[in-house]
Amino acid sequence: MTALDHLLLISAVTVAIALLAGNSRVGGWLVTILYALQGAALLMMSGLGYSTLDVVPSSFSIVVLSEHLLWRFDALSWFFALITIGAGFFSSWFASGEWGERYRDNGGNLRLFHGALALNVFTMLVLLASGDLLTLFIGWELVSWASFLIMALAGGKAFGYAMRYISYAFSGAMAILGGLLLIYAEVGSFDFQSLKEAAPQMQTSTLWLLVTLFTAGFGVKMAILPFHLWQAKAYAETPGPGAAFLGAISSRMGLFAFIVVIVQLIGISRLLEMEIPFTFLDAQDLLAWIAIFTIIIPTYIALRQHDARRLLAWHGVGQTGYMLLGIVIANDLGSAGGLMHVFNYATYQAMLFMAVVAVIHRTGTSDLNKLGGLFTRMPLSYIAMLVGIIGLAGLPPMNGFVSKWLIYRSLIVDGSPLLFIGAVIGTLGTILSVYKLIHNIFLGQLRVEHAAVREAPLSMVIPMMLLAAVVFVTGYFPGLVLDWTSAVQASIGLPVLAHHLGGVSISGGLDMIWIVSVLLTGFGFGTLVFFLGGRSKRVHQLDNYAGGHFLTAETRYHYSDNFYPGLMHLIGSWYRNSFEWLEHGLISAVDTLSTAMQGLYRNAHPSYLLLAAVVFALSWVIV
Amino acid sequence: MNLLVLMIVLPLLTAFLLSIINRASTFAARVAGPLVLLATAAIGFSVWPQLSDAPIAMQWGGFQVPLGITLYADQFGLLFALAITIGTLLLWPRNSKNQLRSSSLALLLAGTGTGLALSGDLFNIYVFYELMTVVSYGLIAGRGTSGSFASTLRYLVISGFGAALALAGIALVYQATGTLNLAQLAQLAPEKLNNLQGFAAFVLMLVGFGVKAELFPVNMWVPEVYATASSRVSALLAGVVSKLALLIIMRLLILVFHQPEALTVLLVLGILGVVSGELAAWRARDLNRMLAFSSIGQLGVMFIALSIPGNAGVFAALAVMVHHLFLKPSMFLLAERWGGSIEKLAGAAKTSPVAAALFVLLSLSLIGVPPLPGFWAKLLVIMPMLALDQPLYYFGAFVILAAASLEANYLFRVVMKLYDKQPVDVPHKAHATVDLATAVFLGAGLIASVFMLVPLADRLDSIAAQATDVSIYIQTVAPQSLQSGSVQ
Amino acid sequence: MHFLELLVELLLMPLLAFVIGLAMVLMMRRIGARIQRRVGPPVLQPIYDILKLYSKDTQISHGLMHEIGVIMGVGGLIAAMTLLPVPGMSGLTDKGGAITLAYMLMIPMLGLALGVGQCANPNGSIGISRALTAMLAYDVPFILVIFGASYIYGTTNLAEMVAIQQQQGVSSWGIVQMPLLALTALLILPATMGKHPFEIYVAPAEIATGPMVEMSGKFMGGLFVMQCFQLYTAGVIFTTLFLGGGVYWITFLPKIFLVVAIPMSVAYLFPRYRTEDVLRLMWKWPMLLGLIGLAVVMK
Repeated sequence: MTALDHLLLISAVTVAIALLAGNSRVGGWLVTILYALQGAALLMMSGLGYSTLDVVPSSFSIVVLSEHLLWRFDALSWFFALITIGAGFFSSWFASGEWGERYRDNGGNLRLFHGALALNVFTMLVLLASGDLLTLFIGWELVSWASFLIMALAGGKAFGYAMRYISYAFSGAMAILGGLLLIYAEVGSFDFQSLKEAAPQMQTSTLWLLVTLFTAGFGVKMAILPFHLWQAKAYAETPGPGAAFLGAISSRMGLFAFIVVIVQLIGISRLLEMEIPFTFLDAQDLLAWIAIFTIIIPTYIALRQHDARRLLAWHGVGQTGYMLLGIVIANDLGSAGGLMHVFNYATYQAMLFMAVVAVIHRTGTSDLNKLGGLFTRMPLSYIAMLVGIIGLAGLPPMNGFVSKWLIYRSLIVDGSPLLFIGAVIGTLGTILSVYKLIHNIFLGQLRVEHAAVREAPLSMVIPMMLLAAVVFVTGYFPGLVLDWTSAVQASIGLPVLAHHLGGVSISGGLDMIWIVSVLLTGFGFGTLVFFLGGRSKRVHQLDNYAGGHFLTAETRYHYSDNFYPGLMHLIGSWYRNSFEWLEHGLISAVDTLSTAMQGLYRNAHPSYLLLAAVVFALSWVIV
Repeated sequence: MNLLVLMIVLPLLTAFLLSIINRASTFAARVAGPLVLLATAAIGFSVWPQLSDAPIAMQWGGFQVPLGITLYADQFGLLFALAITIGTLLLWPRNSKNQLRSSSLALLLAGTGTGLALSGDLFNIYVFYELMTVVSYGLIAGRGTSGSFASTLRYLVISGFGAALALAGIALVYQATGTLNLAQLAQLAPEKLNNLQGFAAFVLMLVGFGVKAELFPVNMWVPEVYATASSRVSALLAGVVSKLALLIIMRLLILVFHQPEALTVLLVLGILGVVSGELAAWRARDLNRMLAFSSIGQLGVMFIALSIPGNAGVFAALAVMVHHLFLKPSMFLLAERWGGSIEKLAGAAKTSPVAAALFVLLSLSLIGVPPLPGFWAKLLVIMPMLALDQPLYYFGAFVILAAASLEANYLFRVVMKLYDKQPVDVPHKAHATVDLATAVFLGAGLIASVFMLVPLADRLDSIAAQATDVSIYIQTVAPQSLQSGSVQ
Repeated sequence: MHFLELLVELLLMPLLAFVIGLAMVLMMRRIGARIQRRVGPPVLQPIYDILKLYSKDTQISHGLMHEIGVIMGVGGLIAAMTLLPVPGMSGLTDKGGAITLAYMLMIPMLGLALGVGQCANPNGSIGISRALTAMLAYDVPFILVIFGASYIYGTTNLAEMVAIQQQQGVSSWGIVQMPLLALTALLILPATMGKHPFEIYVAPAEIATGPMVEMSGKFMGGLFVMQCFQLYTAGVIFTTLFLGGGVYWITFLPKIFLVVAIPMSVAYLFPRYRTEDVLRLMWKWPMLLGLIGLAVVMK
């Protein structure tokens, strides 16, 4: 048994235990411990993350259609598996206490929830371990259906969103299947190595077809434009920690597969040769632009949401763009940034979802127009959300800044000003949006009905605080993560980023240890200056200046709806739901065709056939 | 090898004797049919091992080729003979108003079906095919509702049309070659049928036999019949009988017609079948109709598979057929209690959790989710298509893939309804135990095949290899004519 | 000891920035006064103001986050000062370049926004909404300028940019190399400083619906301190990117004061823009100029 066997075995056992015992609190804890064990099994392979180990095979393999199917882990799989198991661990922990009991008491099937979560982790590990194109596809499908399961758990509205997801995902999967069968027809094998060797000789037209099919197929899971419509709603309706898990890692599987097939096997250099006629663009530019639009459009859709979970989920779509952008730029800075962003994003997105779920747990709503002032009631959840939004917005000192910095820097090196501006517009939109998120929930006036709200239970707070620590520490010492991304870069054949514990060692580099230390010292001085001043007096939240009006205690004023009227005044007319229209148009087209076909079967009267038969017989006789 | 004859004769004979037996003992009449089918199946299984070495041929009535009635049993034919026997057994008509009549009809179906699968000459094939058609009229109309009579009428007209075409095709072949024995045709075909007349004959026979195989333009009967007949009959027709018709077309294609145009015709009609069937199913509001339309689509995939030249095509078609053989009857059995509007299925999973879970499994396999067998079958079809590197085949592959995503959409709409948490006012009926058990049995077969993928693929491959080898056929049926080189 | 030297630099840089910032505030007020034909405040007025604010008797706090917000605002700017190269001191410029600086400057903004949010005054929140929208408006052209400069000089390290311009003389200065980008920067300068005519969110006339509505005493004092740093930052960034920075304080100081003075003198002549008009303006002309400038620079 190899280390990978152990990992997959423990993961499978986790699924079984979750399905058997997930209904009880003890069962939940047991499952959480099993995730920790999976993590331990992963650490046994940590050589992969530091380039000391090349590949860890699995001893399980089968031969189908004279194809040798095999599973193995390399640095890329290890890196993604680390995030997957981490997300599973924290989500499961979060779900195992009071949240789970509430969920069960409200008629939810907790057993199935834990089972679905564990199944998601297991299938993802199987996907990450795939050693050839066919196992990649098998893993891909398993992951798709596992996420479908967890999305559909909530029933009701969630069914519709899950259905939409699986329609997208399955069409994507068919595109992938088409692509890899095309490769088989070209190369004669599903082997990674054969594709890698054959790619340089492939015709450009074939490559275009392959790149289109794979980008579309994997892109559906990543929800890149124009396939972005399904994700936010589906994730937002997933029960509590499930949303945290899906938000953190699920759609990264698309990125993983994209990296494997497009970056590692076909190779970025081939993309550069694929020029789009009549433009200055090539395939790489095209992908980069898709990434940019994936950043901008979903981020500004998020800005308009008034449900906290939808808002976060839409940002999730937007952040995918940064990862894709970094990877497609594919220089040492960009790819490191893209990969690191996968890790960073997972940590703060999970935490943000958890904070929102904690708020829902206590107040029963995630409607941003029905909350406010919870900072005084739930300070720890507030801290989690604060750390999270700083990360999401990509500001120092959190880890999100480092990965975004790498991506920006790579764009400067690459000399792509328009991409750069696009990425920054996305970041600025994110800042606006996340401020609205934290303001509408935690700041402003506390509503009367929330006066007695307590802090979330420890089982929910501790995972959040741990994640907050991770977000801060990996922002302080980004080298911890850059070690892993460098191993990944080396293993997929990209230039390796020169780095140290504090950041990047290039001219105009970054040393987060210094930056963060100085920032903290600055805060220290700020505090000093602040307390040098006179003593301040705390007043009640209603004791404030209202320009001559009296704010009564009965009605609380919280500025929440349409938070950025000035901005919306300008860009509001750009929200046209064009993609929704496109989708509707497609559905209508299929519907019309379908009606036509049914009409064909209903109305193709036998009499026509009789007529045809008679004519035929007559002609037979005459001739 | 008179045993093979027994496989055909026993069910037929019992069918006619059934009313006499019934006079003696109702119980005996009730059990006679299944028992005979069991015996027939046992005979089939006992013959099976011999066939892996060499096929068996025999002349019925002692006349030599080309005068006698030739029976030819290779693994391929016997597989489907067994399929119809066991299929009829599993889908034995129950609870119908006239049990005796349906039992006889079912036995007749099994007998004629077996005959069809094992026949070695065109004339017998035609006779058995017509017999089978007549039997199925009875089965479909057996429900006695006005809807079933109306759909039977439509079926009758189209079948009649098809039969006329098939007969015309056979006549053309006879005119060109002077024989209807498949072995002789196989020898004569390269020189005498490799022309426009041969092609015309093929098209006529394709359309004629295609009626039962749900071939595109002559499948207009399918939705109405499956929606109005009892689910067991629909399961038999869609699951098993359609495959028998397909088997004839495969035999003709392998032995007699080698024109590349023939393959193109198959491909185009297959694509049209997939497109029209799947699209129509997308909008179906009734589970039985949805399954009917989707089965048109799947038969289309089989035609596409058949259009792939060489061994790979037969192998692929065989894999898809066997997969469908297990899957479709099972689905129709589940639809027995779930007929009518899909909207009314809301919350049905609560009353019948096993059935709902099975439906999910079957749907997953149908749309080809790995590692379920449907995926591998689909893989086998598309892989050689792309290897051909021809635009029309690329398009065919695209159609199959696109159809799968449509399938996923409409099947999972049903699944979502089943698991919907707001149940409708009307309480759902649980499935009859026998129905459910049969469906689960077939579903278990699918699951089991996942674990035996490799040996299964090898076996199907060898069956396909045996079926595609024309010289084996000729040698087995008419060794002497090979030496003489000529028939007349 | 190199390390100790660096520590001293890190202490000195914010201190100097503060002092220069105070002088800039004074200068700005004087310019405003002259344009309005007033005399203007005495030299030490900014210091008096700060002392007054910090020692007031009534200091209303709306809770912990309110206080932390102001601390983050001042502290973040103090930290950001170490990233700005000045004659003789380069601080942390090699450990975080122009991009880091741009993002460090958002921290005080965020801190302030959080603090105001905690004040529980809807009017304050409205002010923040306007302020953040304005930030969205001017940061896009600002980042464009940063990109152009980083691309031209081949580094994001501000100190290296200064070194390059110093070595190769005036002809290599950013303002000669990329005049259009310099013009862009000049156009957005008042906005980045939070000054006329783009400061509707903090304008005295709009105080009741601005972030400052609940700020009193040392909270207001904190804002005052931040203003000093902001003016200084704007001056130094522009000088570093376009005017060759400075090797000697004697040449450096006039440059940064000039940079702050010019747009101020012009800006006072315009009426204030509404928030959406700021957006429209910033995204139209500076962006257009900047993009043309970039196209010229990158060929």
